[in-house]
Amino acid sequence: MASTSAPRRSRPTRPAVAGPGEPLLRWSSRATTIAGIQLELARIWSEPKLVASVDGVEERRIAARTSVMNLVVIALRPEIGKRAAATIARLTGRHPSRTLIVLARDPEGRNSLRARIEAHCILPRADAPETCAEMIHLEVGGQAGRHLAAVVAPLLVHDLPVTLWWPDEPPFGAPEAEALFRMADRLVVDGSSWGGDGLDRLSRMAATVQAHGLAVSDLALVRQSRWREAIASVFDMPGLLPYLRYVRRIAVTYAAAEASAPAGGVNVVKPVYHVAWLASRLGMTVREPVALRAERRRSQGTGAAARVHAGLLEGPHGEVKVTIGPLASELPSGTTLRVELLCDRRGSELRAAITAAAETVDAQAWVDGLSVLQRSYLAPRRTDVDLLEEAVESGTRDPVAAATIRFAAELAARPSVERPDPVASEQVT
Amino acid sequence: VTQSTTRPRRAGTDGAQTAREARLARDGRKRPATKALDNPLREGLRLERMPDPFAFVLFGATGDLAHRKVIPALYQLWRTHLLPHEFCLVAFGRRDYDDESYRQEIRGSLEKHSRVLPLDETAWRQFSERIVYQRGDFSDDAAFERLGTRLEEVSRTAGTLGNVLFYLATQSSAFAEIVGGLGRAGLDHEVHTSGWRRIVIEKPFGRDLDSAVRLNREVGKVFRERQVYRIDHYLGKETVRNLLVFRFGNGIFEPIWNRRYVDHVQITVAEAIGIENRGSFYEETGAARDILQNHLLQLVTLVAMEPPVAFTADALRNEKVKVLRAIAEMTSAEQAGRDIVRGQYGRGWVEGEEVPGYREEPEVDPESETETFVAAKLEVDDWRWGGVPFYLRTGKRLPKRATEIAIQFKAVPHRLFADANADPEPNLLAIRIQPDEGILLRFSSKVPGLGLDIRPVNMDFTYGSSFSVDSPDSYETLILDALLGDQSLFTRSDEVEAAWTIVTPIIEAWTGMPPPEFPDYPAGTWGPEAAEELIRRDGRSWRRI
Repeated sequence: MASTSAPRRSRPTRPAVAGPGEPLLRWSSRATTIAGIQLELARIWSEPKLVASVDGVEERRIAARTSVMNLVVIALRPEIGKRAAATIARLTGRHPSRTLIVLARDPEGRNSLRARIEAHCILPRADAPETCAEMIHLEVGGQAGRHLAAVVAPLLVHDLPVTLWWPDEPPFGAPEAEALFRMADRLVVDGSSWGGDGLDRLSRMAATVQAHGLAVSDLALVRQSRWREAIASVFDMPGLLPYLRYVRRIAVTYAAAEASAPAGGVNVVKPVYHVAWLASRLGMTVREPVALRAERRRSQGTGAAARVHAGLLEGPHGEVKVTIGPLASELPSGTTLRVELLCDRRGSELRAAITAAAETVDAQAWVDGLSVLQRSYLAPRRTDVDLLEEAVESGTRDPVAAATIRFAAELAARPSVERPDPVASEQVT
Repeated sequence: VTQSTTRPRRAGTDGAQTAREARLARDGRKRPATKALDNPLREGLRLERMPDPFAFVLFGATGDLAHRKVIPALYQLWRTHLLPHEFCLVAFGRRDYDDESYRQEIRGSLEKHSRVLPLDETAWRQFSERIVYQRGDFSDDAAFERLGTRLEEVSRTAGTLGNVLFYLATQSSAFAEIVGGLGRAGLDHEVHTSGWRRIVIEKPFGRDLDSAVRLNREVGKVFRERQVYRIDHYLGKETVRNLLVFRFGNGIFEPIWNRRYVDHVQITVAEAIGIENRGSFYEETGAARDILQNHLLQLVTLVAMEPPVAFTADALRNEKVKVLRAIAEMTSAEQAGRDIVRGQYGRGWVEGEEVPGYREEPEVDPESETETFVAAKLEVDDWRWGGVPFYLRTGKRLPKRATEIAIQFKAVPHRLFADANADPEPNLLAIRIQPDEGILLRFSSKVPGLGLDIRPVNMDFTYGSSFSVDSPDSYETLILDALLGDQSLFTRSDEVEAAWTIVTPIIEAWTGMPPPEFPDYPAGTWGPEAAEELIRRDGRSWRRI
């Protein structure tokens, strides 16, 4: 990579003042070397012309530069980078960070680096000074794209935690990715966007996380917090709590284009997380990981066999059956439709069903067939900004999420004899 | 559903109860085990916890507090999906409304007082569908019977499971009457078929020690202590809550948080506003009752308390009560005259406008002796704080609105830089509660250059710039806590009484003194000269805020 600073263009932007809480692009410049980027970053804050126009009069607002973390986004496609940038800009107020959005392109081409350096500012309140954070868009070409860690490392603010957001499909096990994982404190992924059923990648992620001691936030898991709330609420009732140690069956139904379609094509990370969360909270262990099998669904009555993931857990009072099955629905494939628990305590049966409705999650419970609970929880669809915010807000390690992901990986483990793991050889420790 | 979710579990079910445990359990003092501890699925979900279904019975529903604070807080909680679908606001008032006209009234006040405007039409529609109005008089037992019938109906139709939160947003004179009415109608009962019952009581809780004890007794005849939530909205403020995190979540401050390093503590609660058309209320109250007895002493307890053994309501409150008990009482009029200063504002200028003196305000006696300013020097007489004075001041019509806690550390023990142009100033830690919430640490630094100049510099943390997100209003925080059954930020009966034990002798001493020469400070200044003298005689000065 060239060591001299290339010519650059820089311009403080002078748009009208945005309302409080609205992010605003206040500086933009370009550079083609790491040294050039560092120089531009220094120039932003020494630039006396960071001005805003208020009622037609230009005035300077004191811009406070703040960072609570380094946020590194690895975007393998330009559109992903663009979407991530928009999400992060909206996060500036709550979690100001130095953001690096890294795009590797044209691996066979010449080594190159193109960077756009921006300052995004927001007014926390109308009368407060602006808070600004830096965003650096990096396009790395040629062989350098295989060594992204070398590009990212010198641009991190020292002493601040590094969050690595990989919106697409992280190549767990690949050396170039592992180098990035090594420098991160937290990894943010979205398991529900992975190809296939997502379970192979889930297992490899768990191995990576363990190898590097990474904290991990999977947006697929973050998204389900209202569900967990609804499920937990059933057992807030003192009369129902004792049943929790006697779970016999956990069944999760998810949306698929067709119920009888091969389930291997639908990402089931979210349904698996439901089971893993419950099982890890309740001290269960995996006896048989989930595996696909054909099941004739009584409720559908069509005669078509659905392919469900079935497995077996060991609970405090015996075995617990797990089924994760599809149901024809217009909702996006893999969306959880229903979580059911069956508990059998000294001859008394508790059935709890948590179901997705249009804007709510509904919890219902029956003891020996009699309805004992019916509640609704508002569950508005959350934006990427909400999810990312919640993911980075959990701060240090979230032991519940870590245990859930670990358990999900065990639950998804593929027996190597019956089905060799095609990616096992890529794994590094 | 038939289970009550908040009844205390019997202590010691796995073994013998100690006599003390049995007594505590009987007295209702032992906090029931929290759901989070019982239900393994709750771990990690605490912030997402949703209150049980509930009916919110608002007494004083047509009053100012309900319109300005309580209902906007409920609306905001609803708008942000923090309330369950199965909730119903039962507004109880004397005025002649029906459900629809009351909803219109609320709509109007939300348009003025909601924290987030414009109103979210969908949220408002859903919220308004959950509001009903129940007309009745606090002195009429039949009205409480009718309320009971309405609550049964609400429980069935809205699915509130019999859980009820009573919120007293009335004049304090009505508290005992309402509590008595609830008791006679049996609305306090938490039998196993009817969910939990809680009561939130606004300040002022009594007007002196006797009346507070009496009111506690009246409330205690009907409700158990674990059902009672005495609200002091200061405790719901984000920075006040952060004070606990700051003290006990950081390792570097607690070792120096004592008499060995701290010279003195100053706490200021300054208001630029006057009495805002509440003349008759303020004539009966005064600054000592309105601010000193609750907000100021609560801030003292949070600064001075020992680390609690657990982050639970009673562990916290046990430590706070100890601080109040360790504050030396003003046992003589002479002592009160020496360590307490009262004042009253006269005509003056505040924020560029000329404002009338207190005695010229509507509904105020032209000869009024009510204090609008109090400064006090208190000592927390315990191992940690012995000999460290706590200077407190609060007043109306001061130059600006500012609440701040300042920990002034001692000077360095040895003047190493004797040749420097200025001695290093002692370190200061200032915790700003409003406005511009934040924390400032002042330390000395060398001025760049060839000489040896030392100047104080500030390390300043501002909430606004690090977290530019709206903090919840304190009423939102506290109402949600009450709905979740968390009493940590509410005042316990013994705490209220201990605070009155400090303030009552001061007020009584004043009545025995010659009439004060009021007004003694012009509006827009930092209080009477005597307040300056109070701290100056110790060789210190009030912070310029």
